[in-house]
Amino acid sequence: MGRPRRRPLVWRRVVNGSVPYLLVSPVVFVLFAVLAYPIYYLVRISLEKFGLFELIQHHGVYIGLDNFRSVLHDQIFWHTLLRTVVFTVANVSLTIVGGTLIALLLKRLWTAVRILLTVGLILVWAMPPVVAVQVWIWMTNVQNGVLNYVLTTLHIGNYDGHNWFDSPFSSLAMATTLIVWGALPFVVITVYAALSQVPHELVEAAEIDGARAWRVFRDVTMPVISPILYLLTCLSILWDFGVFTQVYLLITQPAIVPANYVMGVYLWEEAYFKTDYGRGAAISILTLVIVAAMSIFYVRRMVRVGEVA
Amino acid sequence: MRYRVFAVVAAAVALSVVVATATASRNKTAQSNTLTVWLQVDAQNGWPQVVAAANNAFKSSYPGWNVNVQYQSWGDHLQKFDATIAANQTPDVIEMGNTEMTKYMAAGAFANITANKGQFDNASHWLAGLKKSSMFNNKLYGVPYYAGSRLVTYRTDLFKKSGLKKAPKSLQQFESQLAAVKAHDHTKGFTPFYMAGTDWYSALSFVYDYGGSIANFSHGKWHGALASKKSIAGLNAYKKFFRAAAPKSASKLNEANPAPYTVFSQNRTSAIFGPGWFSCCTGKKYTKVTGQFVMPSHQSGKSMPGFLGGSDLAVPQQSNSQSQARAWIADFTNTANEKALQAVGNIPNATNLLNGTVNDRAAKASWFVPTAKHWVDVENGNILRTMLGQILTGQLSVKKAAQTASANIAYTLNQP
Repeated sequence: MGRPRRRPLVWRRVVNGSVPYLLVSPVVFVLFAVLAYPIYYLVRISLEKFGLFELIQHHGVYIGLDNFRSVLHDQIFWHTLLRTVVFTVANVSLTIVGGTLIALLLKRLWTAVRILLTVGLILVWAMPPVVAVQVWIWMTNVQNGVLNYVLTTLHIGNYDGHNWFDSPFSSLAMATTLIVWGALPFVVITVYAALSQVPHELVEAAEIDGARAWRVFRDVTMPVISPILYLLTCLSILWDFGVFTQVYLLITQPAIVPANYVMGVYLWEEAYFKTDYGRGAAISILTLVIVAAMSIFYVRRMVRVGEVA
Repeated sequence: MRYRVFAVVAAAVALSVVVATATASRNKTAQSNTLTVWLQVDAQNGWPQVVAAANNAFKSSYPGWNVNVQYQSWGDHLQKFDATIAANQTPDVIEMGNTEMTKYMAAGAFANITANKGQFDNASHWLAGLKKSSMFNNKLYGVPYYAGSRLVTYRTDLFKKSGLKKAPKSLQQFESQLAAVKAHDHTKGFTPFYMAGTDWYSALSFVYDYGGSIANFSHGKWHGALASKKSIAGLNAYKKFFRAAAPKSASKLNEANPAPYTVFSQNRTSAIFGPGWFSCCTGKKYTKVTGQFVMPSHQSGKSMPGFLGGSDLAVPQQSNSQSQARAWIADFTNTANEKALQAVGNIPNATNLLNGTVNDRAAKASWFVPTAKHWVDVENGNILRTMLGQILTGQLSVKKAAQTASANIAYTLNQP
């Protein structure tokens, strides 16, 4: 069209080169806006004495690493950490094993029953944790809980007036049932989807060769679904390690004691209940470090999956 | 084309920011003549007419002012209050539970109103338990609002059936009455008396009845007092009473789950000990046969000192409308309003307003927790609940459990 072409060319190259950055910039901007200041503030508070008095004054007193020192010298922190690890292992294994078994069951069911079961799972998924906790509290009620009634009626033992929240172990076991119940649908549906990737011919061939069910599962099904199981396990660990709602609401305030703390509850009690935000921030950062270390496995696998794709 | 889209988006964002700030600034100017008041939901459900009366009185003395009453719940109002402190957006008036006051007074959260005491009706007759909770270092930071005492709520029909017509005069007499009820009723799961074993608000009344206490302040330090001779006598009396009349399975339970009135409404007990308002929820079937009396002392003719629960009203230090806030509190707690609170079953804030109701009689003998900055840590650390559980289950002897708890309490209260 007779116009000079040099300038637009350079301009276009700059524009084209920056398109990926432009596209990713809103996400980066939002993440930065939402996370950067809170994280900076968290780190700052963790290095300060910051209680109710300092909250009113609007500034803390710098004390270096004292909060971290006091947390790391606190027996309760180490006991809570160990308890949380055991609690997470129990929850995750129950979720993954149970979820896989139900997914395998789904494969074998009539369509009508399968739809019924799937609808049930979706309903569980749709139930907000806070509501589920209330239902659990009713069911495990000391005086009128249906759990005590059923166990007593079935002559499994005398559970009349049995208090399920009597010991820390029993309390957390109740929380585990609730957490696993709530986590199952996601695992079942994801594993079920993965199972549809298992080539039917391979299963058939193995069966013709005389392989038993367990052998077929181990050598044919497992290799196909194991990447999905790996990711589900990683995600479940991250979720269950930081669990708060179910444990906190189910055990409820006067019964929450250091003997039944998990990390999320410990953090909440120190920061918000005892209004020691400095210590709370230190615990929060330590938890963040632990979770970040654990998520390395997850991120590495995600990157590898991305490369393959 | 791409740039046009970009420009449109940018313009939209810019416009929405302008609109948002414009709305925000409009809200701000509207709020400058508004008094924000945080009350607990109890007022919303139980005595909204008192709140309305106070608002009207306030508005007539401050024309052009509005009152924005926001109702809070006990479970999380302190966390919300802390958040408003951090954001410099505190309410102008806040209702505080009397055991919650000390920590906030010590941290400087409330305005000192010692000089304004004369502004409030009946200030020279305030209930001792509430007044104590509003004072720190001899300065006044709160205005007593109302109190609730602890009573025995009982089934008049079951007591009558066992030949008992009068309220007991002493603890011993009450014990033998409960034994008589037990002898008459063998229903499975029924015990003549119910209370949660670790309910320290009720249990420690026995300690105070025998002249004991939790901790005392002298020579600039807190001293644990639960292991004193008198306190131990009280704890022994509690253990004996609980073991004789209450279910063993409740030894380690707390009063939140199950609520004692629920046990009552299910015909599983004939008497419960707790806040006077427990009579609200004894079940439709038993409303007509629900009675109340003051827990008797071990000394015949006297009543056992009860824990005086209650609320105070305070003005946060950060409020910009402190004189208006004080004026609203004065209107809200004036004699007429306190009498209206009394009419719906509360204890008014001053002794000169008390009359002969069972609630008011209970308020005459009362005890209160140590007003120490770190008291709240004793509560949160469940020191008292642990001790009571150990005593009732026999895990530790009364003396050993009391000594451990007493040392723990002294350590906690004396923290810097």
